Amino acid sequence: MRSLVLLCFVGCANLQVVPVPEAAEQHRPKTADGWELSLVRYRPVGPSTGIPVLLCHGITANERNMDLDADHSMARWLASKGREAWTMSVRGTGASDRVDPTHGRALPILFDHFWQHDLPTAIAHVRQVSGAEQLDYAGHSMGGLIAYAYLSHGGTGLHAVATLGTPVRLGWGTGVERLLTSIGPIVGRDEVLVPSEALAQLSAPFQTLGDDSLMERLLYQPGSTSKETWQRLVRYGTADTAGGVIRQLLVMLGSASFRAELASVRTPVLVIAGKLDRLALTPAVKDGFHALGGPRQFRLITAANGAHGEYGHMDLVIGEHAAEDVFPHVLGFFDSPGEGEGPALRSGAVFPP
Amino acid sequence: MTALVLGLMVAVSDDVGVAHRRVTTADGAAVALYRYRVEGLRSPAPPLLLVPELGFSRALFDFEHRGLARWLAAQGREVYVAELRGQGKADPALSLEHFATDVDAVLKHIDAAQVDLVVQGWAGALLMSSIAEARVRRVVAMNVLFEPEVPNQLAERFLMNGARFSSLASSPEGAHVFEQLFGLRAEMPVSTFHALLATGTRDLSRPVAAELLAWMRHGDRPIHDSSVKRRLIAWRRPTLLMLGLADGFAPPELCAGWRDHNPNVSIRTFTRLEAGDDFSRASMLLGTRAPSFVFPEVLEFLR
Repeated sequence: MRSLVLLCFVGCANLQVVPVPEAAEQHRPKTADGWELSLVRYRPVGPSTGIPVLLCHGITANERNMDLDADHSMARWLASKGREAWTMSVRGTGASDRVDPTHGRALPILFDHFWQHDLPTAIAHVRQVSGAEQLDYAGHSMGGLIAYAYLSHGGTGLHAVATLGTPVRLGWGTGVERLLTSIGPIVGRDEVLVPSEALAQLSAPFQTLGDDSLMERLLYQPGSTSKETWQRLVRYGTADTAGGVIRQLLVMLGSASFRAELASVRTPVLVIAGKLDRLALTPAVKDGFHALGGPRQFRLITAANGAHGEYGHMDLVIGEHAAEDVFPHVLGFFDSPGEGEGPALRSGAVFPP
Repeated sequence: MTALVLGLMVAVSDDVGVAHRRVTTADGAAVALYRYRVEGLRSPAPPLLLVPELGFSRALFDFEHRGLARWLAAQGREVYVAELRGQGKADPALSLEHFATDVDAVLKHIDAAQVDLVVQGWAGALLMSSIAEARVRRVVAMNVLFEPEVPNQLAERFLMNGARFSSLASSPEGAHVFEQLFGLRAEMPVSTFHALLATGTRDLSRPVAAELLAWMRHGDRPIHDSSVKRRLIAWRRPTLLMLGLADGFAPPELCAGWRDHNPNVSIRTFTRLEAGDDFSRASMLLGTRAPSFVFPEVLEFLR
């Protein structure tokens, strides 16, 4: 009992939701099929240095992945560099409309809804509010897939795109895939809504306990993201997972046709992979780079390329050093998209003579 | 139970007999060949030929009486580990061109109609594009390169500095470079890791380091009237491409594309999530998890 009390006391700070900054503006555009989306606007600090950037999270996640707190925020980092940043939550996640059949918002939620309705709605709203003709876009994990699908079906309004930890295929012979294959038919059904948000919040107090947990092995590198940061993400950065989305993703990533469609993309894309990402394996991410038809770059985030440490799936957006190891590559690409070389070694990197 | 199995394994491994032969190539160079066999145990499957990565010796397969060579021999297989020019006790290599000649000499000495292969990384790509395919039955290819690129800045600097493993062994910074490239997050005793660097590696010659770097930068390497990549595409023997996520010198994203060009190649990727190790070059063969996760799958595929 005493341990539980101590646990609650120690973990208390990380279990409180850190609000978005007061200056951030809440927007709620509505999709053509009737879902209000949560968009948060972070105005640039100082003079504007470029067009707005729209940021989108991955599966089982929400907009707070891109703005967890003052120290872990791609949105605030971009704003500090003079870019107006917008975070978005796709339907059914974060502060966007949830499933509510009494108001005409019934299941299924599909991946197709994200790129056919949610992303176009967000792009149109940001363009209208900011007056910008085009936007830059960064998507983490499934957020990158949304952009891939949107662009490969002729989507417009994006000047350059960065995908972070976005896998485009299955078939790697891993244990995770075997698990997905076995549970896919059970949870990957249109009428299912996996209560992953509630489960995550229930587990949040225990996320700092022990080492080498299943979540740690799958989703982050403890050397790159502290347990406290991870705990905060689990507390308020997660969302329920629609079975229809799981079903469509499994089909999409299991076939070659999705990758074939990427050949039609002409928008410049930066593809970022974390060396030790066990969810979006580096070859699964790089296959997206190979499949794209327009200007593209690939960046591998690893200490061997000068990063502070090794990067797993979530470290790419919430890592303690993501603002030094990852975000500058994204902004640099947005500023001058096109083909290029890998990052230089961090100054001070030691190499024996 | 695990301890019992490991204990039995060690007991069996102690019965493995190792014979060393110096084999002379057609152009007069010496390469080293080690045969591992347990008297009285004999599988009907063809002999196995194991060839380590450039810069490494047979230690990758047999270090301090542990490793894949002894493990496979204990299962009844006749196992050969070859050190080609530039590796281990073989003569020095001034070019990667010697690979085909060296492999010919080794196969002639083994004198079997066919062998099974276990190969690694850059050496594996060279070997598979050099060897007479008719002499091979099946292959386990560990992080064998298909789409060469400079894997990272550290690897590039290492090769530009002449790929001198001996310089890495002399300082903590050097050991860190070795870890990044060959033993990232490896689940293996630190002492084993350092001993492998000190005694299981050999400097590449400057010309070989330069050839390897040029291969990385150009994305392919000519071989006679073809190229490494074209020959890998044309490879027809059943091949299991084992991928360790943590390999920093032959990373999986430069290997996996092979299966898109060759239907005979299947993929098995290891991660820490299931196997307790992301399997770098060193730990895929010498890590504490290798005998439980890697070795049985090698044996199964080559059965």
